[in-house]
Amino acid sequence: MTDQLVATATVAPGGVSPARRPGALATGLLVLGALVLLTAFLSVTQGSRSIGLTEVIDALRHFTAVSTDVSTDDTVTTQLRVPRTILGVLVGAALGVSGAVLQGLTRNALADPSIMGIEAGAALAVVVGITVLGVTGIQLHVVLAFIGALAATALVYAVGSLGRDGATPVKMALAGAAITAGLMAVTTVLLLTDLQAQQEYRFWQVGSLAGRYAPIVTGVAPVLVVGLVVGVLCGRPLNALALGDDAARGLGVSLTRTRIGLFTVVAVLCGAATAACGPIVFVGLVVPHVARAICGPDYRWILPYSLLLGPLLLLGADILGRVMGGDGELQVGVVLGMLGAPFFILLVRYSRLAEL
Amino acid sequence: MTTSQRSSSPTAAATAVVVRRHRLSRHRRAAVVPAALLAVALLLALLTLCCGSVRLTFGQVLGSLLGTGDNAAVDFIVQDLAVPQVKAAIGVGLALGAAGTIFQQLLRNPLASPDFVGISAGASVFAVAGLAVPALSGLSIPVLALTGALVFASAMYLLAWRDGVSGYRFILIGIGMSAFATSITGYLLTRTSLTEAREALHWLTGSIGQAGDTENNVLLVCLLLLAPTVPVLQRMLRNVELGDDTARGLGTRLEPTRLILLGVGVLLTALATAVAGPIAFVALVAGPVADRLLGPARGGIVAAGAVGAILCLVADYVAVQVLPVEMPTGVVTGAVGAPYLLWLLATTNRRGVGG
Amino acid sequence: MLTLGTAACSSDIADSSDAKDAKVPDRPWEFTDGSGEVVKLDKAPTRIIAHGAEAAALMAYGIKPVGIYADEPVTTDPNLKDLDLTGIEILGEEWGSIDVAKASTLTPDLIVADWWPAEKAHSGFEDGVKAKSKKLAELAPVVGASQGDSILDLAEGYEDLAESLGADVENSQGSKDKAAFEKSRDAFIAAMEDKDFTALAVSPASDLLYVANPEYAPELLDFDRWGLDIVEPDSPDKGFPYWENLSWEKADKYQPDVLMFDSRSIITDKKTVQDQPTWNSIRAAKAGQIVEWPGFWLHTYGHYAVALDKLTEELSGLDDLIGD
Repeated sequence: MTDQLVATATVAPGGVSPARRPGALATGLLVLGALVLLTAFLSVTQGSRSIGLTEVIDALRHFTAVSTDVSTDDTVTTQLRVPRTILGVLVGAALGVSGAVLQGLTRNALADPSIMGIEAGAALAVVVGITVLGVTGIQLHVVLAFIGALAATALVYAVGSLGRDGATPVKMALAGAAITAGLMAVTTVLLLTDLQAQQEYRFWQVGSLAGRYAPIVTGVAPVLVVGLVVGVLCGRPLNALALGDDAARGLGVSLTRTRIGLFTVVAVLCGAATAACGPIVFVGLVVPHVARAICGPDYRWILPYSLLLGPLLLLGADILGRVMGGDGELQVGVVLGMLGAPFFILLVRYSRLAEL
Repeated sequence: MTTSQRSSSPTAAATAVVVRRHRLSRHRRAAVVPAALLAVALLLALLTLCCGSVRLTFGQVLGSLLGTGDNAAVDFIVQDLAVPQVKAAIGVGLALGAAGTIFQQLLRNPLASPDFVGISAGASVFAVAGLAVPALSGLSIPVLALTGALVFASAMYLLAWRDGVSGYRFILIGIGMSAFATSITGYLLTRTSLTEAREALHWLTGSIGQAGDTENNVLLVCLLLLAPTVPVLQRMLRNVELGDDTARGLGTRLEPTRLILLGVGVLLTALATAVAGPIAFVALVAGPVADRLLGPARGGIVAAGAVGAILCLVADYVAVQVLPVEMPTGVVTGAVGAPYLLWLLATTNRRGVGG
Repeated sequence: MLTLGTAACSSDIADSSDAKDAKVPDRPWEFTDGSGEVVKLDKAPTRIIAHGAEAAALMAYGIKPVGIYADEPVTTDPNLKDLDLTGIEILGEEWGSIDVAKASTLTPDLIVADWWPAEKAHSGFEDGVKAKSKKLAELAPVVGASQGDSILDLAEGYEDLAESLGADVENSQGSKDKAAFEKSRDAFIAAMEDKDFTALAVSPASDLLYVANPEYAPELLDFDRWGLDIVEPDSPDKGFPYWENLSWEKADKYQPDVLMFDSRSIITDKKTVQDQPTWNSIRAAKAGQIVEWPGFWLHTYGHYAVALDKLTEELSGLDDLIGD
């Protein structure tokens, strides 16, 4: 019975797949790193507009030259594709790592930024900005979304930690779901009564790397980099939490402090990522599961794998969307779902799973 | 899981008397709580009939219901407008509440309500395609939604099958299918005209009163047909909760049991979604709330269904009559249900909610 | 709680029906609906419930409906916001929701709403409208002009309907509006004769530039007929032929003389394009040659005249040689 396989995975971590030797896992990380670099290269050279390699290199060479009469090819390369690529790498990594942390923290396979109130908070803040404050323009939306995401995450944690035993995984998961529902309700009310806001919001809600240019990248990049560095180092506390509350306490881990710390990492990473690109659901949910399928239940490996798998998935999907759409483009969220989801389903079907 | 632990693994101090009293109160609660909840739902239904946008007296409503009234205007409002609405609210609430608690117990995850594991998403993508793709216009939206839910659920089951279906794999496949469906819905929303995007957004929020009388009646007939099987379903759920080994020891084969439970949950969700669109949160919240009221008798399908019905009735009334502009019911279910769930979370102990 | 609730519920259904308007002739009435169906009644209807824009069209001829259902709050609906609606019951201010119970207390004898040939439904009865709202059609027959390839189909259709309902068309605001519209249209045609404009109607979003296909926008077809050359996108989206989707990398694919932004969203649209590095690769955009694209809501000669005058004025100062 497969249930027994799954059960073995939980009971005896490390005993399921032969690929879990540190040497093999480290080599895997290097290969992934190379693949991310290759994807980034493709992301700068490929797109719905065909630009020759020499033109691309040319454009990159006088990247900093301020000229009033640049060709459209130059503009596309330096002002559209380069920022988009940087953002794709950072946001992909942020979603992957924060997804892994969130799933470890709540010990729930379904926990992702869209269920834990983070995206709902960002969305509500953006919609309130559009309808009530009359704020338009993507840059202000980014600031609002970040604030909204942080506030919602804080609220989820505060509610989840009420009651006798603090923030247990079940309570955090339910609190996230409840707060998501409440926030979404308010968002929808505002949207349905304001056609203009609906028009703006329906493009924000798909989640896309397009249309996010240099000013946004420079705005969120520092936040994301700091968050990523801290996030990747969270393996040990997550491993402790994975043993269960009592065992973790037995190991001398302060549950409350650890949870607050991890939640902050998630809030910052997801908040900044959602703020920059809108809600991109699939990456944070799926990347940790893929990482877990490769390296087993040890978070010290899951986190760096998520860090590299995230950009690979996000940027790869983005490139496909650019190439497949003809003169238009398919939003990255759409490609992720339409191609990434079947891939994920097959992976789940044909691999041995390490349960949370 | 927790129930069985509590009642079947008493500490050494537990005397036979305590156990019996405990069991007695549990049985009483298991009978009284659902009955009381259903009564509240019926009462709310009557109140809603009187206090629509056109106020009617209790006598007028009763007269029209019993066929003794002779005011055609009142008859139109009560029989053609209000009663189908109330019937839909009760039917959808019962179905979603029951399906939610079945899924949560079967998959052993408090977040595993049908909203999150791809069934509502499957219904949505078919329905939105029907609204947004010109080539599909003219097809019945409820039928499309029903088809979508069933197609996605069957696909999930088949894909998750490998010498049986583990709950964990089913959840993960559900996540994948849900993402697949949601991305297509998102694509359709961006590509369609603003007017049709609005039609789709309405459907996606979910509203009681969305579908016509035929769909309502199909849902109600299904619920009536399923009602006698509730004790059987309840026993099946308990067996699944006990886990594979125990169940095999008792001579129960789990796979058919799981399939039947999943089938019932999917059918209820699909029908409810066809009638009202994907109303959020009812399936998620009904189970935990009912469990809290049931105390040690937790897991009751009828109680969860009744909580769902109450939630839908209240949300529909608030959405249509109380708010300044009429809103889809799905907007209000979140707003009505969320604070209650949060309050439950805040006052519960570790083992109280959802496991 | 129950007693409190029931006590609060008092009946406001009156048993007597209101006295009918006197001036309407007591002879059979018929009207050919946009769907082609002929609706026949024993006498001309007087208690009309109309969809928002259609109500505005009828009111221009002095026909006042008893109830209106609109798609947005009547204070912002472009067709209704300037009208005096006192004495008219508002049955809905949100697309897809109509208070049928309240409508039934108005005892209507006609419901007026546009016919959409593509959707084969009247406004308010399309796919996606709640089944409970669609029960409005059980109260009275529904008629309306058909949406077609010109706004004038609607304006003329409601003129005919108003006349059949007993309106004095000759001496109404509507006939003054029609004269004003004809003047505006002639001025527009004259202005377009001197110039050789090509125009592209677009809807910019942060991730894509949507180019409108005039085939699905009656007002654009009208402008094209009257001399403003509307660019037809060469590869509209197959599933949704209303638009061609251009990535911002390809924003310079078409080089029209003038860009048109939807009048409902022009302010946001302008902010959206500011952030797009390739927006200026469209020469008309760089030169700021952007005009308002009057939206699909136009139903009356009066509104159309105003919109056309504005468009003529905005176009008159622009360079018609900047595009290809």
